[in-house]
Amino acid sequence: MESLFDKRALLISGKGGVGRTTVTAALAMAAARAGKRVLIAEIGEPDEDLAALGRLFGRQTLPADPVPLARNVDGVMLWSRKGHERFLRMVLPVAALVRAGLRSKALRRLLDAAPSLNELGVFYHMLTLVREEASAGRPKWDLLIIDLPATGHALGLATLPDRILQLIPTGPIARTVRDGKDVFFNEDSSAMVVVTLPETLPVTEALELIEGVRETDLPVAGIIVNKVVGDDFTEEEREALAPLVAERPVFGATRFLGIGMVSQSLDRLREASETTVWKVPELPLEGPGLIHGLSDAILAPQDEVAS
Amino acid sequence: MSADLPIQELVKHRGVLVVCGAGGVGKTTTSTALAMAGARQGRRVLALTVDPSKRLAQTLGVDRNLEAPVSIPEERLRQAGIEPPGSLHAWMLDPKLVADRVVQKMAKDPEEVERLMQNRIYNGISRMVAGMQEYMAMEALFEFHEAGTYDLVILDTPPSRNALAFLEGPQRMSSFLDGRIFHLFLPQGSGGARPGLFRRAAGAVIDTINRAVFGEETYDDLQEFFGSFRDILANLNTNAGDMIERLSDPDDVAFMLVTSPTDASVSDAHFFRERTAQMNLPFAGFVLNRSQALASGRVFPDYDLLPDDASPAALSGLAKLQKLGKVEQSEMERDRHLLATLAEEAGDEAFALATPTVPGGANDLPSLLKISDALWGAEPY
Repeated sequence: MESLFDKRALLISGKGGVGRTTVTAALAMAAARAGKRVLIAEIGEPDEDLAALGRLFGRQTLPADPVPLARNVDGVMLWSRKGHERFLRMVLPVAALVRAGLRSKALRRLLDAAPSLNELGVFYHMLTLVREEASAGRPKWDLLIIDLPATGHALGLATLPDRILQLIPTGPIARTVRDGKDVFFNEDSSAMVVVTLPETLPVTEALELIEGVRETDLPVAGIIVNKVVGDDFTEEEREALAPLVAERPVFGATRFLGIGMVSQSLDRLREASETTVWKVPELPLEGPGLIHGLSDAILAPQDEVAS
Repeated sequence: MSADLPIQELVKHRGVLVVCGAGGVGKTTTSTALAMAGARQGRRVLALTVDPSKRLAQTLGVDRNLEAPVSIPEERLRQAGIEPPGSLHAWMLDPKLVADRVVQKMAKDPEEVERLMQNRIYNGISRMVAGMQEYMAMEALFEFHEAGTYDLVILDTPPSRNALAFLEGPQRMSSFLDGRIFHLFLPQGSGGARPGLFRRAAGAVIDTINRAVFGEETYDDLQEFFGSFRDILANLNTNAGDMIERLSDPDDVAFMLVTSPTDASVSDAHFFRERTAQMNLPFAGFVLNRSQALASGRVFPDYDLLPDDASPAALSGLAKLQKLGKVEQSEMERDRHLLATLAEEAGDEAFALATPTVPGGANDLPSLLKISDALWGAEPY
């Protein structure tokens, strides 16, 4: 999984409930331990929305300008307005015009009410962060990891450039979108990672998402299967319990059958997705301990994670 | 005769069910299962959904992106036990298609329709304007409900992060189409009295900003769009205002919220309950989906479930199974607690009920039917 850390940006997506945010935090922690300066980001209202990612590092909210969260890990809330403001500063020659633009309630409303323009603000905010430099030619962060809130958002982002370019084919917005595409839709510098669980429905949904993203130019680096439980039932035990579980509903049966399905789910992902499939284990931990434990698993060679 | 259970009452007697919920809670599955329950009662049912998964279309055996509702195939109706006069139609509605119909209805002449269809901004509008999908879903809902072809129309609301998105949709669209945004793009000086010096100066500034932000070509498109279609947009805006009000008849309409056991479910439920009350919308209840709340006849895997001559492998296996059993029992406790909280939130007039978890998910007709049966027979908490 360490090969992921050579990118400039990772977009993490996956359905609610699969542990996407936890995996994002663990990836950041692992990259930081591997010596990278990492910026993690979520999308929402700065200083206001409950920051799911921030919470894992002990912060209830996140601001729109990066703050340190842990050693070599900074955090930020991606905010459409921040992107709009920076965009206005870029396209308007005079500061007074920028102020007028920001003050215009009608323009404000248009930018807020049109989802594409709203997403575009987030997109531009992302772009300015990737471009930020510590000193000339040296980026401030090696790696930007973004926790995308839901599959819809992932597809929304994947289709954003083409949607915008269809609507607005020329001018400064189009130029910016093309610049952003060069960074985020370029497999040398960026990739999407899909998080899922080793269960039938989440696997199907992950495959659907990948199929959708493949129709766009956004590169997919692979799938991280979260909460892979070790199967400590022997073949004989499994056989001996089969009649009992089939005969009547017992507590534990769903998990028992689920464990049996893990390798099947992994095989299905490997075959159908045509991309790399990584595993991270289910750990009996919570909070910072869980993040640290998962980052251990991410940094360990994959074969050791399996058992 | 005993009184109907909550879902029975709804699918037998209402004309419209609006199924809301945040993305990923199983809203589409629940809507479809409700539609099946209605059709099995001999009602003519239409299931409307925006942007559904391919899986659901496959399960029902209908195509996506058709121009009008279609019946699910004969053999699947039989499998589902749906018999005349009962029928089940489905439409995966395309917001752009509905928008075109609305424009055709509202435009003054065919040339105006033609021009609008050619405008690039219009062609992106269903995705460009927040609330447009929700508004168009409501348009389609009324169109079919009022035509009288169906006894029951079930609306699976458009996918969104937030359960309230559907209720706020028309209002959000309306704030996009309001006068201020018109002025932003109308050629300066149009509309009413000649503006004063200050307004003209402000207009010139906005004009400069617009040109710099959007570029000449797009700015022209925007001006054409807002200028020529002012009347249609104003009409849309007026409609959006009373759209929600038309859903307030408690004898005809019911709103329900589908939720799943997550951190957000209780606050989602609370806001949904509050918002529907504020908007005077008939709230029916909560469906807790994908939970472990129902025991469904499960027992703890005690040793006495094994035969006396159980093998050593059965005994050691059972010890491991018991560990998993304890985990599932505690999950059940957690989800029951959640269901109780939802029931409290629902109050006396509304219900909170749980649907069973279908192993492997509802990805075929038999599992959809299982969920449909479970909803039909679900006792309120």
